[in-house]
Amino acid sequence: MNIVTELLSYDFMRRALIAALLTGLAAPAVGAYLVHRRLALMGDGIGHVALTGVAVGLLTGWAPVWTAVVVAIAGSITIELVRAYGKASADVALAMLFYGGIAGGVLLTGLAGSTAATLNTYLFGSITTVSPADLWVIGILAAVVAALAVGLAPQLFAICQDEEFARATGMPARLYSILIAVMAAVTVAVAMRTVGLLLVSALMVVPVATAMQLTRGFRTTFLLALTLGVVPSLSGVVFAFHVDVAPGASIVVLALAGFVLSWPLGTLVRRMRAREDVAGEDPRITGEHIPTEDHPHEHDDECGHPAVVHGDHTDYLHDGHLHAPHGRHYDEH
Amino acid sequence: MNAPVVEARHLTVELGERPVLHEVDFHVNEGEVVTLLGANGSGKSTLVRAVAGLVPVTSGEITLFGQPQRSFRAWKRIGYVPQRLTATGGVPATVREVVSSGRLAHRRPFLPASRADRDAVEWAIDLVGLSDRINDGIQTLSGGQQQRVLIARAAAGTPDLLVLDEPNAGLDWRSQEAFARSLRTFVASGRTVLVVLHDMGPLAPLVDRGVVLDAGRVTHDGPLPVPAGAAGMPDDHRHTTGEQTGPFGWIS
Repeated sequence: MNIVTELLSYDFMRRALIAALLTGLAAPAVGAYLVHRRLALMGDGIGHVALTGVAVGLLTGWAPVWTAVVVAIAGSITIELVRAYGKASADVALAMLFYGGIAGGVLLTGLAGSTAATLNTYLFGSITTVSPADLWVIGILAAVVAALAVGLAPQLFAICQDEEFARATGMPARLYSILIAVMAAVTVAVAMRTVGLLLVSALMVVPVATAMQLTRGFRTTFLLALTLGVVPSLSGVVFAFHVDVAPGASIVVLALAGFVLSWPLGTLVRRMRAREDVAGEDPRITGEHIPTEDHPHEHDDECGHPAVVHGDHTDYLHDGHLHAPHGRHYDEH
Repeated sequence: MNAPVVEARHLTVELGERPVLHEVDFHVNEGEVVTLLGANGSGKSTLVRAVAGLVPVTSGEITLFGQPQRSFRAWKRIGYVPQRLTATGGVPATVREVVSSGRLAHRRPFLPASRADRDAVEWAIDLVGLSDRINDGIQTLSGGQQQRVLIARAAAGTPDLLVLDEPNAGLDWRSQEAFARSLRTFVASGRTVLVVLHDMGPLAPLVDRGVVLDAGRVTHDGPLPVPAGAAGMPDDHRHTTGEQTGPFGWIS
């Protein structure tokens, strides 16, 4: 209790924890869609581009959060358009955009006369530098991203699952694609102060990957990933405060530790589930009367399925299991 | 005389400068089951993708339900089944979740699914015989079952026209039969089907008319001879009629 009161007695720590909570919610919410779409590295790329945005802020004296949001959105829309219309190889085009983003950021920061230490607080996060004004921006942006990620879940899921099918249903598929990219860009800017631009992608991807070990549906994965994003974000900030390291590193290490722990757990869950399925279906285990579904033909000597004499009747070997005649149908045997 | 559901006139489609369809005239009437046949690269997939609005038309015109495609907005009347062997994304998804996306044309953003939406999804999953797998991850299903999930997804929108692009590609004979039964139930409700096939397999008895494409031109349009015991496949199944009725009311 003492530790909690001590932490909360610092204004900067309260702000850092609120920022971490919002980041921990928004990043996996967007990340679930990116991973589902097999664009797990997109957050990484946007993070690189956003660095140029931060540098623009440092150079001009505008708030770096806003310049980062603007440049990251521009970058994410470019990525999306290259993906959709790109005649050249998309991954090469994207790689060049990423390099340009990071080089531009370092160059502009140098021109602004800022030091590498300043840049580091954006690259890997910094708990002491979340200003009250920053917190408002972070709060509003994270709320908008979370509301869209939850409210438009069926649409965004459909786009990520199968974009072509979504287009064929008459949905504005391109608009939704761009929306996902913009949400990712906004999340990068939100997460900049907590986990940092270079590691934000980890907070988008790792909680989702961890959740996937234990779930079999998108919805459950999504909800579990939010929890798995919040826990390491909060504890990472607290850890960083005590040991005085960059919060981004401790958050990501904790999230990865969760993934490592979930791996054997997931194997166990899957094995138990498989046993459950077998126990529920295989009549050799349940001894139940299970008629075979829609059997296309009558088994006889000539049907091509090997006959197996079994006590008082004859079974037929059918795709690795036995069919036993029972009245006018066959039982699984 | 049934009204045409799809009508293409002098349809020319180019994909990246390369002409794929040349002046194709083609129609599907209400309640018909029409199959598009042809070799690889003959343009049959491109034709259905053009009908589904997925590739731009270079010249000529497509009419859907009597309306020019350019001003056509009732896309929920068309259910599209893409040519795909796997239906999985990066994150696990259940059968119910995937099929639910077929219902989106009936739903509004930010509003939860209605009773009718949920019923339609369950009906569609039942149609393809996967009700007992409804909450299972789609990645745990076999290739044939995944293909049936894609059909359920298109059927969940209760479309008047079902467009399928090689639904049987890569499936074994048993899966093709299961698919043919699902399609038969769909057709029995008076709906229209346009299906691209590489070979007819167990679908042959369902088909009213075949259109054969060769190098982007129609070379045959009319009834197809139905070989006794569909051709080209080892038929070790002696079919008995009237003996057994499958779970969805069709004759096995």
